[in-house]
Amino acid sequence: MQSEARSPYTPIPMHVLHAYYESTDRSLKTLELSFDHAADSQAFFQVFNPGQFCLLSVAGKGESALGVASAAWEGDFVRFTAQNVGSVTSALHALKAGDALGMRGPMGNGFPLDDWKSKNLVIIGGGCAFSTLYALTKHVHHEDHRGDYGKLTLVYGTRTSGLCMYKHDIAAWHEDEDMEIHQAIDVPEDNWLHHVGYVPDVVRQVAPSPVNAVAVVCGPPIMTKFTLPALVDLGFSPENIFTSLEKRMKCGIGKCGRCNLGPKYICKDGPVFSLAELNALPADL
Amino acid sequence: MNLILEKQALPGLLQSWREQYDVYVPQKMERFSHFMPLTEESVLVTGEPHNTRIPPKALFLPMTETLVKFTRFGGYEDAQQNVQPRVVFGIRPCDAQAIQLLDTSFIQEGYTDPLWLERREKTITIGLGCHQPCHNGFCTTVGYGPFNKSDLDALLTDLGDTYLVETLSEAGEACFQDLSPASDDIYEHALEIQQIAHDQMPVAFETENLKEKLEQNFNSKFWEEVSQSCLGCGVCTFLCPTCFCFDIVDETQRKQRVRNWDTCMFRTYSLEASGHNPRPSRVERTRQRLSHKFVYWLDQVNQIGCTGCGRCVRYCPVGIDIRAMLRQAQTLPFEVSHAV
Repeated sequence: MQSEARSPYTPIPMHVLHAYYESTDRSLKTLELSFDHAADSQAFFQVFNPGQFCLLSVAGKGESALGVASAAWEGDFVRFTAQNVGSVTSALHALKAGDALGMRGPMGNGFPLDDWKSKNLVIIGGGCAFSTLYALTKHVHHEDHRGDYGKLTLVYGTRTSGLCMYKHDIAAWHEDEDMEIHQAIDVPEDNWLHHVGYVPDVVRQVAPSPVNAVAVVCGPPIMTKFTLPALVDLGFSPENIFTSLEKRMKCGIGKCGRCNLGPKYICKDGPVFSLAELNALPADL
Repeated sequence: MNLILEKQALPGLLQSWREQYDVYVPQKMERFSHFMPLTEESVLVTGEPHNTRIPPKALFLPMTETLVKFTRFGGYEDAQQNVQPRVVFGIRPCDAQAIQLLDTSFIQEGYTDPLWLERREKTITIGLGCHQPCHNGFCTTVGYGPFNKSDLDALLTDLGDTYLVETLSEAGEACFQDLSPASDDIYEHALEIQQIAHDQMPVAFETENLKEKLEQNFNSKFWEEVSQSCLGCGVCTFLCPTCFCFDIVDETQRKQRVRNWDTCMFRTYSLEASGHNPRPSRVERTRQRLSHKFVYWLDQVNQIGCTGCGRCVRYCPVGIDIRAMLRQAQTLPFEVSHAV
C-alpha cells in the first residue's frame, strides 16, 4: 500500500520494544517493534494480512525482507525473527530495546484467508521460515477467527530442538485439543518426545486428509521441494497447496527487478503462491 | 497539426525554449553522442545515423539517485529532487517507445514510483524520426518503427532543408506555435520518406511463436550455446533503453540511501544471503535477459520489451548479437499452445 505523503522507498520510524534470542545457538533473534507514530500503526493494521512481509531498515547497512511473525490481535506492535546471516541481519541482531530502526510494509499479498474459510488447514513449516506460519496460526487460532476454519493441523520441523522458535506457544499448542501439532527434529536428541526426521517424511507419516483442506508450506527450498510432491501424493490438488517464496529483494514494490519469477514479482505478486500458479511459472528459483 | 520548420531556425528555437524549460539535446561526447543540457555553446548532433550511446531513460531513471536521507536521530526523510520543466529534443522513436514501456512498470496503481512520475510529468519529448536506417537497429522487427509516435509530444521528419513537425499533444503544439503549417504536398512527401525508411529496415528475426519457443525451451542446451562467449560485463543491459533494474545501497558518509542501475547479468544481482543463487551462471542470466524482453513483457503488458534500438548489438565487447540468438531460438522445437 502506498501512502500519499511518503515515498514508498522511505521507511517509517519504529522502535524496538523487545529483542530476544529465539534459538539456543543465538542464530535467531526476535524483534518486536512499536510504531513511533500512531498514524503509521493505523495505516499498517488497516491492510496487514498474515503472510505479508516488511523491509527492516538499518541506516547505513541497508534493508532486509522479513516475514511478519505476529497477528494483528496481539497488539500495537509487529514481530520479526531474523537469522543472522548478512550485514543487515547482523545489525538487526545488535539492536536492543529502545533502539530506532526503519520499516517499510506490509508488502506482498499474504495468505488468501478469505478463500480458506470453512476449510481444514494443514500448516507445514520448517526452520525460521515458520515465522509467517506462526502469524497465520496465531490469527486462525484466535477466538474471533477460529470458527471460520475447520480442523487445524500443524507440522513444524527444525534441525535441532534448540532451533525451534516460539517455544512458549508451541508448548501450549501441544496441550491444546483444538489443534493437532506434529513437531520434528532432523536428528535424534535425548528427551525428545516428538517426531525425528525430515518434514516431507513426517508429512507422509502424519498423512493429513486432503478432503476440504488446504495445505500451506513454508520452509527452506529443499524442504519445500520435497514437501509439495508429498502433498500431491496425499491427494491435495495444486490449487489447494500454497507456499510462500523468497528471493533477493531491494525495492519491495516490483520495480527493482531482481525477485521476478517469470512475469511475476515475488515482492508484489507474491510471496504467497498456490502450487497451481507455480506450475505455470518458470522454475527460476 | 503539421508544421514546417527550417533547419536554420532550429538552434534559435531550441534556445528560445530555454526561457521556460531545461532543454536536453544530443551532443557530442567523446566518440559518441549524449543527451546533455543545452547551453549557448552547445553543438547539436542530429545528423548521425545512430543513436546516443546512453539511452534517454537516464533522464528519467538516473544512473544514480538519492532515494532516502538519513536524519540525525535514526529517522528517514524522502530525498528532494529538483526537476525543472524540461524538453528533451531529438529523442529517437525507439527510445521514446522504451519510455512508454517503462511507464507500465513505474506507474501502476498503488505502486507508482514518485521520482519517475515527477520527471515524466515535467518532461516534453520531441522525437526525431530516423529517415536513414541505423546500423544494427531492428525496430520494425519487434513491431515498432523509425517514425513510431508512441509517447512523443511531437515528431520531426527530416526533409533536407526543413523538418516536418507533427505535433502530437498540446504541450508539443505549444513548443512549435510560431511555425507555419505544412502543405498537403509536403506532408505527403514526408509520409513517403517515413514509409521508405520503414521499408528499408531489415527483418532481423521472426517474432511469430518466439515467446512460446523461449518459454518451452527454458531448460534447453540453447541457453548454454548462446551464453558461452558472454563476459558478463552487463553493457547490453546498462545501455538497453527498456532495462530498468536497480540496486539500492546505503552511503554511510553521505547519510543517504541511493539507487544505482543494476543488471541481471551480474552474479550478485540475485545472490541471496544464504549463498543460494537462482541464477548462478551466465546461462541462467542470459536466459533471464532474453526471456524478460521476449516472454515476460508480453505476459505483463502484451508488448515486446525490446524496441530494436540495437545498442546491445553495437556495444557488446564480444559481438554477441541478440538478433542471431533469436534467429537461433526460432529453430527450437515447440508445441502450439491451445490457449482457451
